[in-house]
Amino acid sequence: MTGRARARGRPPRQTLPPAAVGDAPPQQLQHPQQLQQQLQQLHGPPAQSEEPGGHGHLRACEAPLQERRPEGLQVSSGLQDLSLRDRGGRRRDFHDLGVNTRQAMVHVQESKTGFSGKMIKLTTNHFRLTSRPQWALYQYHVGYSPEMEARRLRSALLFQHEETIGKTHAFDGSILFLPKKLENKVTELFSRTRNGEDVKITVTLTNELPPTSPTCLQFYNIIFRRLLKMLNLQQIGRNYYNPSDPVIIPNHRLMVWLGFTSSILQYEENIMLCTDVSHKVLRGETVLDTMHSLHSQVGEERFRDACAKELIGLIVLTKYNNRTYRIDDIDWDNNPKSTFRKSDGSEMSFVEYYKKQYNIEISDWMQPVLISQMKRKRGNIQGSVALIPELCSLTGLTDKMRSDFNMMKDLAIHTRLPPEQRQRELGRLLNYIQKDDNVQKELRNWGLSFDNKSVSFTGRIVQGEKIFQSGAMFDYNPQFADWTKETRGVPLIRSMPMDSWLLIYTRRNYDVANTLLQSLFKVTPSMGIHMNRPSMIEVDDRTEAYLRVLQQRVTTDINIVFCILSSSRKDKYDAIKKYLCTDCPIPSQCVLARTLSKPQTIMTVATKIALQMNCKMGGELWSVEIPLKQVMIVGIDCYHDTVSGKQSIAGFVASLNQSVTRWFSRCVVQSRGQELVDGIKTCLQTALRNWSKWNKSLPSRIFVYRDGVGDGQLNTLVNYEVPQFLDCLKSIGTDYSPRLTVIVVKKRVGARFFAEIGGGLRNPPPGTVVDTVVTRPEWYDFFVVSQTVKNGCVAPTHYNVIYDTSQLKPDHVQRLTYKLCHMYYNWSGIIRVPAPCQYAHKLAFLVGQSIHREPNLMLSDRLYYL
Amino acid sequence: MDKNFKEEFTQIIKFEPPLYKQRHQFVRDLVEKYKPKKVADLGCADCSLLWMLKFCSCIEVLAGLDICANVMKEKMHTLSPLPVDYLQPSERSLTVTLHHGSVAHKDPCMLGFDLVTCIELIEHLEESELKKFPEVVFGFMAPSIVVISTPNSEFNCLLPRVMLYRHPDHKFEWSQAEFQSWALETARCYDYSVEFTGVGHPPTGMEKVGFCTQIGVFFRKYPQTGESVQSEKPMEAVYKTVFKAVYPSLKDEKYLQNAVISEVIFTAQIIKHRLMSKREEYSDDPERKSKFQPSMDCFSDYLGKLVVEKNMEPFVSGNEVYIPLRTIFSFPKVNRLCGTFEKLCKLIAGKVTLSSDGSAVMFNIEHENEEN
Repeated sequence: MTGRARARGRPPRQTLPPAAVGDAPPQQLQHPQQLQQQLQQLHGPPAQSEEPGGHGHLRACEAPLQERRPEGLQVSSGLQDLSLRDRGGRRRDFHDLGVNTRQAMVHVQESKTGFSGKMIKLTTNHFRLTSRPQWALYQYHVGYSPEMEARRLRSALLFQHEETIGKTHAFDGSILFLPKKLENKVTELFSRTRNGEDVKITVTLTNELPPTSPTCLQFYNIIFRRLLKMLNLQQIGRNYYNPSDPVIIPNHRLMVWLGFTSSILQYEENIMLCTDVSHKVLRGETVLDTMHSLHSQVGEERFRDACAKELIGLIVLTKYNNRTYRIDDIDWDNNPKSTFRKSDGSEMSFVEYYKKQYNIEISDWMQPVLISQMKRKRGNIQGSVALIPELCSLTGLTDKMRSDFNMMKDLAIHTRLPPEQRQRELGRLLNYIQKDDNVQKELRNWGLSFDNKSVSFTGRIVQGEKIFQSGAMFDYNPQFADWTKETRGVPLIRSMPMDSWLLIYTRRNYDVANTLLQSLFKVTPSMGIHMNRPSMIEVDDRTEAYLRVLQQRVTTDINIVFCILSSSRKDKYDAIKKYLCTDCPIPSQCVLARTLSKPQTIMTVATKIALQMNCKMGGELWSVEIPLKQVMIVGIDCYHDTVSGKQSIAGFVASLNQSVTRWFSRCVVQSRGQELVDGIKTCLQTALRNWSKWNKSLPSRIFVYRDGVGDGQLNTLVNYEVPQFLDCLKSIGTDYSPRLTVIVVKKRVGARFFAEIGGGLRNPPPGTVVDTVVTRPEWYDFFVVSQTVKNGCVAPTHYNVIYDTSQLKPDHVQRLTYKLCHMYYNWSGIIRVPAPCQYAHKLAFLVGQSIHREPNLMLSDRLYYL
Repeated sequence: MDKNFKEEFTQIIKFEPPLYKQRHQFVRDLVEKYKPKKVADLGCADCSLLWMLKFCSCIEVLAGLDICANVMKEKMHTLSPLPVDYLQPSERSLTVTLHHGSVAHKDPCMLGFDLVTCIELIEHLEESELKKFPEVVFGFMAPSIVVISTPNSEFNCLLPRVMLYRHPDHKFEWSQAEFQSWALETARCYDYSVEFTGVGHPPTGMEKVGFCTQIGVFFRKYPQTGESVQSEKPMEAVYKTVFKAVYPSLKDEKYLQNAVISEVIFTAQIIKHRLMSKREEYSDDPERKSKFQPSMDCFSDYLGKLVVEKNMEPFVSGNEVYIPLRTIFSFPKVNRLCGTFEKLCKLIAGKVTLSSDGSAVMFNIEHENEEN
């Protein structure tokens, strides 16, 4: 599971106790390690490390890395070890540079900004990069005659002419970058090698790069990361962290390093550095330590399962090199004494290898080995790497830790920085940069500098929405972005009767079941829900007992099955959900007994459960005004299952009615390597069929909110997925050409906005829209802050309209997006993403975590997965 | 020599493992054998030998020197501590420093080393530099052991494509006799003994050409010079420090304290966890509950007795769990870190919540059960 999926799958941490197992209100918690988990870059090799490989069948060992190391680009003085390709030379286009989608949309050529709402003064975490006037980077080709092989020799020969080419340069052996232009287009230089050979060097200008060229942007990013390195920060994954001043949380054996994310990009008008505080959670124990404590906790029998559950998917650091690896598997058949095949074909044991290579003695020879798949080809080698648990340190949090309330609370104190403090930390970083002589010298030589004050601009707060519920209309307090109180006791738009339902509980929870029932009887009448007494069924606290009852008692006329679970053991929950979502498609509600055990909250909990059950049976709660007619709104999100069979699941949700209160939901289960989009196409077809069944026509407008797009995947989306959507629409009929809008939704963005209120910095209120200054000129994009947070900084959501034939004004697209953030029925408040995305996420998460195959289509017209 | 015969060899000769690795391995074996604490590598180039040596646990000070700063800087970051070094600070301390300068110059930063290695260095020295070299290394630095390796020119006839020298920057390549006479003379002059060996065995039938790389290991015959003698030497620094990394170590109070606090709290948590789950078993059984009605007080009474008896048992009182420091100290990991009980108390003072008399770690469990 990705960190992101995890973040969303976490149980709620609100003042309200959780209503159901695994049900998360979408109000987002701040992620302790923002951009870390999902995109772990495999780093460039440190000097001599040679990876021990798996065993013959896994792969041949990598060739010694030394030989394959991409030739680095030598940069003058302080940045000597800079390589233009950055570490390891495997740079991914994380920022989706060069995907220019705006140019195809004529109606936003002039302007992509909205106009409604009232102005708000904002600052952000972007800092302008300034360069000398007429700054350019000059690219030269360097040729040698006679030809010189060794890069070191080539550099040495070239740099004999430092008085000509200058002290500041970047050279990779054939391409030379200079901050200044040489006098002539072609410069001939003569050098003599130390054994007396005369060499002619021809330096030819090949390119004059403007500050905004992609190569330059890449160049700035590398320079900046080097600056962080010069400030003695440690690179872990993509970011740099300060190891010297860790926050130690000994209760949980955790350590938190404060660090920074950084990216330099061309924004609307300027090139800016976007930097954010990032926290890296590290653990003071090795994987072997964790295995030992697991063993003592669960015993021999469940040990291997427990290890797999706890460890697979985690990122580890090794004792001997500066790379991070993801644990993909645990190989119990091997141990450190097992041998692997080295690049030269010889066999060697891990014990021997680590002794020889790093002088490390492996003390436990019985431990299994960890397997990490290489994400991408390295040279021509692809496969997996074997790691020794004893030599691996864990990073990040496990699911178990995330569900540990106390741990998360302890962590939050350190990781959720309120706006003022966050800005202060960033200010400190910029201050370090200004103060460090070496850093300043390097920047000066390249003619670059950073503003030490972040950019300020005005955003807009669009007006709040009215909530409609059965003829009544409500305003909500924008400060809380929540209407729980306002709508309490008001009839729902569509309430589903509970004429026949089951309440299943264990003997211990008999009292709890009765309390719940009484509370439900109290809260449901005002909602308009007609409820009969359920069949109360007592079961043993075993998975099989629950299943047997379900098999015997669930019939097609049952409205809903309610299970009170005594522990958060996932297997029981999974078994119940699997049975009731596939074999016997009946809505179900699972709740932990603990949730119901507190008298002071039981009414609130019962209210929430009643609403949730109503949705699961096909009810509707509230609506907002949707001015567009004949519109179908689609939400897509992905979940990547790590534990069972490496599946990917795409949740697909499409609106069915004008008021956008009913949804059609399907999902695509795809095994590794397959393209999700083919399945999505089928989903879209069925969704259109269903829409036309409900509305007696086809929609004339379709909005697709596409979540779950990783950094660097935008290109694929634009060139592959969107054409497939269009294909699909074409296949419906020749005369059918609805207007299509595809919007990529991204929650994990580096941008943060702070409202300047009363001389201080606050979180901007919900409804804040930003579509200038920090957006990208080549995109039709905007940010919306739709949710509120209690602690820390609110994270804006980024929307990138990659395809749009709607002809709607940007303002309308922004407003529609914000409206949809009000429509998630599991949370009577505004959430971070449009409701269809959150529904799609919930569906994909349930299937990925518990069901592992496509649920029964009988359920597809209701929100059974809430 | 028969030309064909020679040709044959030039085709075949390829060292496995590669010669540079054999040289490094040679140094490492030496380090393993003599366990020097301070090691300097002269002509450290891309720092690959230093990188290898940083994993040798006996070494506490590593220094590199090279005439070319660029070549050192290219890979010097590999000598920086890794994140894991911060996560699990090592028992030993380690400082790695890189200097930019010439082996023909004396700098006080090179004093006090146990082992100085000059791997494939001397053949790069100009005549004037080579002349000053013995005085700098043997006279001034005067480490207990010096290792010097250099190509054996007699072997060159077996190497393909070697015209004059093996590397264009070599100023000379010596035969075995030339190297040995220089080494013996140097050793005699500075009161060292020298042993000759090498790496890269010649092919069978060609033994007389000797090793491909010839090595001289010099041992100082007189005991360590005192500080007073060193202070008379010129103390002016001429090298430029280009890199310095101090590894986190438990020798540093800051890291030790963090490690101890973590371990103490973690150990205490484990004990508490065991204690609580025992209690839960006890109170979870509904039948027992109704029969005995075990209250908190009764339970702690029971434990209280144990405390009197052993003064080591953890106990619960009201909403607080007490875990005696003595118990925690008896855990091997804590014990090893602190050494003495007094040290333990000193290190955690003010950092860990203790009972009023300071004898036990205290946890409040009031809110814990609600959420778990």
